Amino acid sequence: MGDPFDLAAGWLQEHLLIPLLYALGAMQWEDVAYGWALFAVYGACQVAITYVVCVPLEHWRPVERWPDARAVTVDVFYTVVSRVGVLPLFTFVLFYRAQVALNGFLADHGWVPPTLERLFPFLLGQPALTFLLYAIILDCADYWRHRLSHRFGWWWALHSLHHAQRQMTFWSDDRNHVLDDLIGALWFGAIALAIGVPPLQFPLLVLVLRFLESLSHANARVSFGRIGERLLISPRFHRAHHGLLAAGQRSCNYGAVLPWWDMLFGTADFGRGYVATGDPTGEEALASGSYLRQQWAGLRRFAATFAGAASPRT
Amino acid sequence: MRVTRTIGLALSLFLLGALPAFASGLAFIINSGGASISLVDMSSLKEVRRVPVLREPHHLALSPDGKSLLVGDTVGNEMLFLDPVTAALQRRMPVADPYQLGFSPNGRFLVVNGLARNQVDVYDAATMQLLKRFPAATMPSHLDFAPDSSRVFVSLQGTDSMLAIDLNKLAVQWTAKIGKTPAGVLWHDGHVLVADMGTDYVAVVDPADGHVTGRIHTGKGAHNLFIAPDRKIIWVNNRAGGTTTSLDAATLAPLRSYAIPGGPDDIAFAPDGKLWITRRWAEKVAVLDPASGDYQTIEVGRSPHGLFLNPKGSVAPSIATR
Repeated sequence: MGDPFDLAAGWLQEHLLIPLLYALGAMQWEDVAYGWALFAVYGACQVAITYVVCVPLEHWRPVERWPDARAVTVDVFYTVVSRVGVLPLFTFVLFYRAQVALNGFLADHGWVPPTLERLFPFLLGQPALTFLLYAIILDCADYWRHRLSHRFGWWWALHSLHHAQRQMTFWSDDRNHVLDDLIGALWFGAIALAIGVPPLQFPLLVLVLRFLESLSHANARVSFGRIGERLLISPRFHRAHHGLLAAGQRSCNYGAVLPWWDMLFGTADFGRGYVATGDPTGEEALASGSYLRQQWAGLRRFAATFAGAASPRT
Repeated sequence: MRVTRTIGLALSLFLLGALPAFASGLAFIINSGGASISLVDMSSLKEVRRVPVLREPHHLALSPDGKSLLVGDTVGNEMLFLDPVTAALQRRMPVADPYQLGFSPNGRFLVVNGLARNQVDVYDAATMQLLKRFPAATMPSHLDFAPDSSRVFVSLQGTDSMLAIDLNKLAVQWTAKIGKTPAGVLWHDGHVLVADMGTDYVAVVDPADGHVTGRIHTGKGAHNLFIAPDRKIIWVNNRAGGTTTSLDAATLAPLRSYAIPGGPDDIAFAPDGKLWITRRWAEKVAVLDPASGDYQTIEVGRSPHGLFLNPKGSVAPSIATR
């Protein structure tokens, strides 16, 4: 019996995507379509597992209760688009192929982009260990991406969309401006060039990491305890980062999965409780607008930072 | 001394006796999406070992001297040289985007298609020195040679065209429109046959100028084609239709169609007359008995693609993977 995720993606490919590509005369994209099918299946499973775990948690021990939770709906849309729909396709078509092309260009000129496995040959044949090392390095890189997104005004103008949510739930992990996502993709593209990030070799572990990222946004009074919170980021730890007082260019708890980088670089704050979230300096459209209004407001604020007018408050 | 020799002989026989499970041949199955090579015992049809590679291997080719099996890892940008008998790693070599590869019949050239980078590289097979790079927009995928090794024909899967390269002059001979999405290429009986994945036919192409002289309907998404060792039957895998079609090699008339779901792709021929067919989206290899139409299934890794059967192969007790 093969991997059920792969078989599901294969079914999607065979019965939906290939007939569609064939009808459209676009069969040259069949490999890309299969890559997207894999992303989509794993993404759908990420969403489903996160839903099954987080919804009971949020009902059991909510930090806040809202009479009207309509603002959460748009976050659901962000999640589906990000994990199942357009973004994985975009990532696969552009990022993946660009990585292949750039790596090939460098190889032509005598420089083979290193991979962890080439640097440490004992890793070949040790997929779990290899993945964990990649995950740790990528998590560190993500810490710095995130920290810099707060540091620069133009970047914060985009990233503040993520922080504007006053009704933060596990759905909020993916509420990002598309330009912020694009910068993130380029960031990881650069990292991939340095250490050769494997594209689809460890999907199950990626699923676990994405689950932890979603969980950290949950509207739930969940802590991992004194020691556990220093090993993995909990909803309590990450909530402090989204707190009203932490919004802006000087925040705390930037990590995504591991709190180690905050501890190492002096930005960890384990002392805050379950604070209210949101960005009091941001405009209302970012918090409660529709998807398009949020994107437009983010873009406008981003442009304003370059025009020198009405730069986002810090 | 005699006792020692006897014990040694007995031990050797015992050790040989421990190998019969792998003694009837070794199959190499490239798992493109799983960054690995499945080694399959050809008698039990079971995977006996999975060899990790760097990123995304697709195709493979046996060196002219038969001593190395070359596996191209596209995203890893390297060529692996494996022992075709034991699967032990011989060496690694940096190569940009090695997707499809093949040695010319005279063994002089190695041609490597870079599908993502839109290039065709011609190497001196003896020294592995790059002789010339040909820009090939877009998506050069499959290839085959003229029997005299004078030319290589490359399908451009991202376009409607095919490219012919004169290997003696190292110059493009012609580029011609073939069909919607040209894929598998096979030289046969003075013609070049090209499977057109965007349609349901195999185009018959004049190798002199790329003119299409005929079309043979096989099935939706005609993707790849191979000629049987006895050269009597040409086998065509139809990707969208999920079928494998046999053609009479003498007349090119369709003979029979077999249902092979899961994206049939590459084919290798076993000595017992069965066809080993990779099923890209099913994580499986089908072992088809052409007489009965039944097939057995071998579980392998994600997106199995290129494959190589070595009836004399047996997996090494300890395969070096680095």
